[in-house]
Amino acid sequence: MTMRTTPLDDFLWRATLGAGILGAAAGPLGSLVLWRRMAYLGESIGHIGLLGAGAGLLLGIDPLIGVTLLAILSALIMARARDGLIPVGTSIGVVGHVGLALGFVLLSSMETVRTDLIGYLFGDVLALSGIDVGEIAAICTVIAVLSAVFWRRWLMAAVNADIAKAEGRASPLAETVFLVLVAVLVALGLRVVGALLIVALIIIPPAAARPFARSPEQMAALAGLIGAASAPLGLALAYWKDIPAGPAIVLAAAALFGLSSLSARLAR
Amino acid sequence: MSDPPLLSATGLSLRVGAADILKDVDFAIRAGEIVTLIGPNGSGKTSLLKALLGLLPAGGRIARKPGLRIGYVPQNFPRDRSLPLTAGRFLRLFAADAPAQAALERAGIAALSGRQLVALSGGEMARVLLARAIATGPELLILDEPLAGVDVAGEAALYHLIAELRGEIGCGVLLVSHDLHVVMAQADRVVCLNGHVCCEGKAEQVVRDPAFAQMFGPRVAGELALYVHRHDHSHDHDHDHEDHALG
Repeated sequence: MTMRTTPLDDFLWRATLGAGILGAAAGPLGSLVLWRRMAYLGESIGHIGLLGAGAGLLLGIDPLIGVTLLAILSALIMARARDGLIPVGTSIGVVGHVGLALGFVLLSSMETVRTDLIGYLFGDVLALSGIDVGEIAAICTVIAVLSAVFWRRWLMAAVNADIAKAEGRASPLAETVFLVLVAVLVALGLRVVGALLIVALIIIPPAAARPFARSPEQMAALAGLIGAASAPLGLALAYWKDIPAGPAIVLAAAALFGLSSLSARLAR
Repeated sequence: MSDPPLLSATGLSLRVGAADILKDVDFAIRAGEIVTLIGPNGSGKTSLLKALLGLLPAGGRIARKPGLRIGYVPQNFPRDRSLPLTAGRFLRLFAADAPAQAALERAGIAALSGRQLVALSGGEMARVLLARAIATGPELLILDEPLAGVDVAGEAALYHLIAELRGEIGCGVLLVSHDLHVVMAQADRVVCLNGHVCCEGKAEQVVRDPAFAQMFGPRVAGELALYVHRHDHSHDHDHDHEDHALG
């Protein structure tokens, strides 16, 4: 009797599916992060995620739960920061790097996980299990559904937050959901491309989509497509050149961005 | 004047750092009324609008009529090149398709519907912002320097449009403007602001107020008094209007 094989039996397929689904779900949220100039926030959430992983391991819980909880908490707190004598991007950057440094120190102090450090920094997409992929698919489905539900509110706030608020269309719930979803996306991305590169996967696909989009929805959809395509392209690159998979996925997205910018320039 | 105001403030104050931007301001606007806020640079006009709209945290009491529909045209509308958005979609984001289309037509910019916001001129953008504000069927239009980026010829046309719209929609209008002549001509009530309310009332009363002369200097005040007088005159008679060079 032969066992039925599924794509999930192959680690390359699992990696492609996991990273591809994540890339697709990041399209709409990534576009909003781009429009709202919030890349620095995502970056700091990613950096603090490392501390969350360390804290999770220390407390004996799943490190990803630690990452997710700390990511959500830091996103909600940091989004309240406003420009003072020091620009908000700088103060949030400081907090993020403190989290990164502390996380590094914490993980280094644990003999058994020291070797996993690189995995947290640059992702370990080839180690995704079938259950991991299932988790990513389920969470990304929730992200996609909520993105569709809140899209119009989010777009109003991105177009002009003052008008939305003045006319009573600003929704604190929508804003909170947005921040939580970005944090969850970053936490998921930690497994795939790591704490240092996750923002690249959120920002680069929308940037690559921009020249070809005539509407916000076109840009979000195209960004999802480019994000999803970066996974097989990057993994093929990693396989072919024997380079780390997470960075290769980011390089593939960057290559698509380069092509997009070039063709936009030529078309002008 | 006995119906409750659409929007009102009592003892409103706003501090930024150690500076009093607004101090003990009482203000109210009622249905269908055109109120214009005037005052020198830094007198707190925009801050007052933003405080009334809840965009700036201010002390005192601010009351909105429950469920009040506001159409807001901010002083600055930064257009984001990374966000692809046509004028038509911009309106439909805030209003249903039919009123959005009607508002574009009413503002005389139906042809701009498919154009990207970043590709519009300053004057076109001013009309798009006004169209968006009226598309939602507002009871109160709040316009903060709606003519920024509009040339002189466009200004008169746009002011005319605002006055017409008030008549058609029957909404209240709260307006901040630098163009004192037009403001004086259109407003039911003028409020002079300089950190506090210096004087308020009908245009012809305000221009004769000593506080007004002190604020803008006797020359401007004198010219405007003359203008307001002539303008009054033009409503009463049918004779030719050749002496109406101003405006």
